[in-house]
Amino acid sequence: MIADQPPEDIPRSNGELVFEAPWESRAFGLTAAYLEASGQDWAAYRAHLMAAIADLPDATPYYEAWVVALDRLLATDGLAARGP
Amino acid sequence: MSDSHGHHPKPKTPTQQRVEAIEALLVERGLITSDVVDAIVETYEHDVGPMNGARVVAKARVDPEYRARLLEDGTSAVGELGFGGAEGEHLVVLENTEDVHHVVVCTLCSCYPWPVLGLPPHWYKSFAYRSRMVREPRAVLAEFGTTVPDDVEMQVWDSSAEVRYMVLPLAPDDVAGRSEDELAGLVTRDHMIGVVR
Repeated sequence: MIADQPPEDIPRSNGELVFEAPWESRAFGLTAAYLEASGQDWAAYRAHLMAAIADLPDATPYYEAWVVALDRLLATDGLAARGP
Repeated sequence: MSDSHGHHPKPKTPTQQRVEAIEALLVERGLITSDVVDAIVETYEHDVGPMNGARVVAKARVDPEYRARLLEDGTSAVGELGFGGAEGEHLVVLENTEDVHHVVVCTLCSCYPWPVLGLPPHWYKSFAYRSRMVREPRAVLAEFGTTVPDDVEMQVWDSSAEVRYMVLPLAPDDVAGRSEDELAGLVTRDHMIGVVR
């Protein structure tokens, strides 16, 4: 139910940090750098991001979906990072 | 601190480990360097943000011809002020009036006009905002402390893969007495998303 979503997910004030943890900024920067290096624009990545958000549970933190999408983009391009 | 042995860092989550593995792979393949990643992060943390959009709004307040160009072709008009690049290619500027209030959402992910607003705030990307804004915009705006009068039409714009939106908020009553800098200082990110009127 939409009405069941916790309202505290929508803060009322301005001024929060762009990134909430260093790994989030790293994930963002890696994505931007990889797209640039591989000559792709953000649309190539965004399709994976939309799909990842749709596939994962609604409560999944945004940047976790981001990393899943980045992994999928890299896999599409034939790049598979080693575990974990 | 000089003592590197005295702390106990929290164990890394699988996602954090994944990010490190991806960086290691891309560096090893010679595709990126860590310095390039640092520079990108630095740019988006410090140089790109709603202060850019506020400059655009302020110029539109004092220059009617600029305002007309902004509403006609957002990407081109913000480019006149030096703002452009990723996620700004098809920028549409929506002008609030006494009769219409615009508010922007991306229901599928987090599409947002980076060159003028920077990266989106946490709540913009949340499931609650994405799912509720289309269904009950007045209720969501009320949670931001924003009441849109019943006789004002509310228009919700869902950012698509192609188009990014920015709201040109209602001007203050005393535009004539203010400098462009002052006018820019009155504009917040939330005005330009439309969650504040």
